[in-house]
Amino acid sequence: MIVAENLTRRFGDRIAVENLSLEIAEGEVFGFLGPNGAGKTTTVRMLAGLLAPTGGRAVVAGVDVVAQPQRVRTLVGILTEHPGLYEKLSAWHNLKFYADLYDLPNPQAQIEKYLRLLGLWERRFEPAGTFSKGMKQKLAIARALLHEPRVLFLDEPTSGLDPEAAKTVRDFIAQLASEKRTIFLCTHNLHEAEQLCTRIGLMRQRLIRVGSPTSLKRELYGRQIVIELQEPWTASEDLHLPFVRSVQRDDRRLLVELDDPEQHNPTLIKRLVELGAQIQFVREQDRTLEEVYLELISEEQR
Amino acid sequence: MTLKRVRVVIVKEWREAFKGGKTVWIGTVAIPLILLGISLFQLFHISDFRAIPPEELPRVVGAVFLVPLLYFLMFPLVIPHSIAIYAIMSEKEQKSLEPLLAMPLRTGELFLAKTLASVLPAVGITWVAFGLFLVVIQALLPASVLELAWQQFSPLWGMALGLFAPLAATFMTLAAMAIATRVSDLRTAQLLSSFAMLPVLMSAFFLVLQETLSRPELLGLLSVGLLVLDMWLLLLNVKLFGREEILTRWR
Repeated sequence: MIVAENLTRRFGDRIAVENLSLEIAEGEVFGFLGPNGAGKTTTVRMLAGLLAPTGGRAVVAGVDVVAQPQRVRTLVGILTEHPGLYEKLSAWHNLKFYADLYDLPNPQAQIEKYLRLLGLWERRFEPAGTFSKGMKQKLAIARALLHEPRVLFLDEPTSGLDPEAAKTVRDFIAQLASEKRTIFLCTHNLHEAEQLCTRIGLMRQRLIRVGSPTSLKRELYGRQIVIELQEPWTASEDLHLPFVRSVQRDDRRLLVELDDPEQHNPTLIKRLVELGAQIQFVREQDRTLEEVYLELISEEQR
Repeated sequence: MTLKRVRVVIVKEWREAFKGGKTVWIGTVAIPLILLGISLFQLFHISDFRAIPPEELPRVVGAVFLVPLLYFLMFPLVIPHSIAIYAIMSEKEQKSLEPLLAMPLRTGELFLAKTLASVLPAVGITWVAFGLFLVVIQALLPASVLELAWQQFSPLWGMALGLFAPLAATFMTLAAMAIATRVSDLRTAQLLSSFAMLPVLMSAFFLVLQETLSRPELLGLLSVGLLVLDMWLLLLNVKLFGREEILTRWR
């Protein structure tokens, strides 16, 4: 649904995005992560047909963003970093304006559908400027969806929202994903990315790494098993197991890195028991996406 | 370019501008009405036409009708000022430009819509004000005065309303928009764009003081000057209304 090949954008001497290549399948929720100024918004603007790339190419929903940017804009929906609503106009008139620009055949029905879905119907005639931040964000999401785009670009959809409003927005994104829409999600909220995204791309002018949250964690840290013991393990003997990559001892805790724990865990535990370990709990070490992110960013800086 | 999209943006601009508060209402409706009232008051209370000897009448009519003419030259400069600034500054302040540019809207359509949203009311209100002016003088002035006024001023009124008004409104709109794209707050935009109307207003005042405004060729010359300025401002605005310029520099 989204294909970019060596997509590049320069502003004078400064390179904002360099040789970005990626493919995003239909129905995928792709998380686009990176520090401030990493080129995320510029990438979204290029993919959504707002800004012309200075190099490379991209095809979104089957349309070339360089050759037909206006056509791309009719096919995608975009939630910009700021809701950017007309504050003196009512929620209804805000959406009516955009519905008319999209030349929708039945604008009233679409406006009503999304105002009801997002819980804004009762306040449709109130000026958008009187809305809370969460309500404004919902209205901006409604605006992005009015023309039923198959591709959605969401830039920081829950930024600055209180936990309840953020959850509502996240749930709504999950609902959109279940409708097989392709979602390109820029976020600094790594927990959100982990919850919602099928794959993650880490960006810092260029694409540093792409993968599912799980595969990125495994790629970076391998698979580690935490074994909690009743007593500190003092055995001096090595485990001598070919699938074990490393063992870290910490008082009553062992951290074992190994290949394919599903297959090798029984052998590992048997061996530990043979060596006198009194095992209380065994669990897989769960790395957070935040750890992965910080590790990859610092790796990139080195 | 589709006219439907242009129309949709114009309607939004008007809806927003007239909900924007007193400044727009004062600039577009109140000031023209006040000026119209003043010019009519002047005609009926200062000039007692019946007391003027018939041989003096042409000179007096020529002098007193210059003031309303000057007001009709001012309207198209004053009226678009507030709407044009509001059209840009409100987008900046509300950060609504990026969502707008994400629509299937060409930047040329956006530019045309924002320009027309200011020029059309300016020209329209000027014409309506002139219509009111005509109705009132037709009803209340002696026939001899009206006849003289028509003789002396019909080419000027025609030129002022048919040529100067659209050119002046376009000039003020383009100047205000060019300034508003480059500044970050409303007051600075209002102040700087007020300066932009000064050269044109001062030229018109100068011609009134010299009592030469009643010569159509001078008003024609003023219109040609405006046309040149309009062309230059149009080129400037086309550059300022580039999509990338808007996205990256309008702050």
